Amino acid sequence: MIKNWTVITVLAILLATHAEGIAQKTTELYIPFGQSPGLSGKHTLVGKIVQVNPSNNTITMADAAGTHSASIAPGTRIYLDRSKAGLPNSQGLLTDCKAGDPVEVKFVDNERGKPAEWVKVQKAR
Amino acid sequence: MKSLTAVSCGILLWAACHFPAPSPPPDPAAELVERGRQIFFNETFAGNGRTCGTCHPAENNFTIDPVFIASLPKNDPLFVAEFSPPLKANFENPRLMREFGLILENLDGFGDLANRFTMRGVPHTLGLRISVVSSNGPRTGWSGDGAPGDGSLRSFATGAVIQHFTKTLDRIPGVDFRLPTAEELDALEAFQLSLGRQNELTLPLQLKGTVAKRGQDLFLSPTVGKCFRCHGNAGANVPNPIGGRSGNLNFNTGVEDLPDLPQDLTGELAPPDDGFGTPGDGTFNTPSLVEAADTGPFFHNNAIETIEGAVAFFNGAAFNSSPSGQAVGGIILDGTQVVEIAAFLRVINTLENIRQSIDLLEPVAQKTASTVDQIRRSIGQAAQETQDGIRVLSGGGLHPQAVRHLEEALKQIQRAEHGILFRGQQALEAIKQLEKARAELLETS
Repeated sequence: MIKNWTVITVLAILLATHAEGIAQKTTELYIPFGQSPGLSGKHTLVGKIVQVNPSNNTITMADAAGTHSASIAPGTRIYLDRSKAGLPNSQGLLTDCKAGDPVEVKFVDNERGKPAEWVKVQKAR
Repeated sequence: MKSLTAVSCGILLWAACHFPAPSPPPDPAAELVERGRQIFFNETFAGNGRTCGTCHPAENNFTIDPVFIASLPKNDPLFVAEFSPPLKANFENPRLMREFGLILENLDGFGDLANRFTMRGVPHTLGLRISVVSSNGPRTGWSGDGAPGDGSLRSFATGAVIQHFTKTLDRIPGVDFRLPTAEELDALEAFQLSLGRQNELTLPLQLKGTVAKRGQDLFLSPTVGKCFRCHGNAGANVPNPIGGRSGNLNFNTGVEDLPDLPQDLTGELAPPDDGFGTPGDGTFNTPSLVEAADTGPFFHNNAIETIEGAVAFFNGAAFNSSPSGQAVGGIILDGTQVVEIAAFLRVINTLENIRQSIDLLEPVAQKTASTVDQIRRSIGQAAQETQDGIRVLSGGGLHPQAVRHLEEALKQIQRAEHGILFRGQQALEAIKQLEKARAELLETS
């Protein structure tokens, strides 16, 4: 009986601790800044770029809570969201990110200590 | 005077039979489902004219196959690539769509539309409440990673709109489509979760048919069929944790290694599908089997048309040399065993058809359906389910007496569909015949 409960408890913990799904990455490019379902405003940071540091591959951004740093790893995707201007979105580089751009950052596994999984930068054109 | 009285009585009788009983108080959950239904079938999201129902029509078990596709008019939005110039190239492959029911997906990116894509069948959306959850989070679509954002079923529609609803390949939000709002995503999720089974079967069932009964034994055998190891209770979940994982899991069963994939035989470009992730790891999501027999073709690429062929796949070299085949120590079935397992799958599918038909007809029989539209829809869908049951059993030469009861039930449902006066009684008669059919398949206590 105790064994059964142990198994049930372990299963419950497993189910609870691995709640995030494995999302499809490719269509994220076309989802406008701040509108990623289940992520934006919940698991992402949304603010403005304060500084871009190409030397150490980081972006510093600011939101209402303060400033945050996001490290850009080789696997980090940078999306340039031009949908507000009615233009196609595209993949970008760190050099496309400019101070003052509205930015949204999702971290790997939603953990701030890890590199950014993707960075979405809103562009006026 | 006499004739006026008769006319008045006639009108009153018609009204009593035609209009449902007074509506019950509003149910927020039911209203959300209904809102989701409206969006699912009617909302184009300012795109190319497709709705969710274009590929997931209620009248075809929320999926499409070549026979259904052939019944559609030329201007159906499913064929938008055939008549909309901006979508002429690299949006769909009309030949593979019409011949095999395959849809084009850019799962590994939109950077090289001409060469980088996969061709997949359309999975039905039945029983999602019990086939999406896993210890690794929700699993959606054929490879389990079908939804953007947080990967949940709620988020799925956002990705679907971007992939399938766009007016041009620029895919500009606000120009080529609009994305679903948070409220629309909530409603769509509620509607999808309401479809089909809400609970798992509990196997073994007390089946009556000799062949199906043997099929169930083989299905549950840890040394012969081994099917239950990935399809617990013939559903989409593993019955016991595998390496700490549980629920709806992904496996590489070697379908992509089949030597004569129909899409490849055409000479059309159909790149290999690498499954889960980018780049993929070759695994695909486990589908539920209860709904399988009437929702073919089978597997992510519609590789096999019949349920017997789908069972026989696990007998072949492609499966037995795959990681999953190796993990279960291989599967060897002879011809009779293949047919027996398929017969079991046909019978449990029919039991689900019967369950759904009865569920749909009960509010009509008891006059508790809230609107005339709901009555019509329920009767129409019950007819479809009953027809499926007839087709599924007849296709395997199974339970002729049950088929006769289903045919009788269908007659009553069709009378209710076209008549007005005795609709409740006809629904009740249909339910009785459906119950008789079920009693032919299953021991009842």
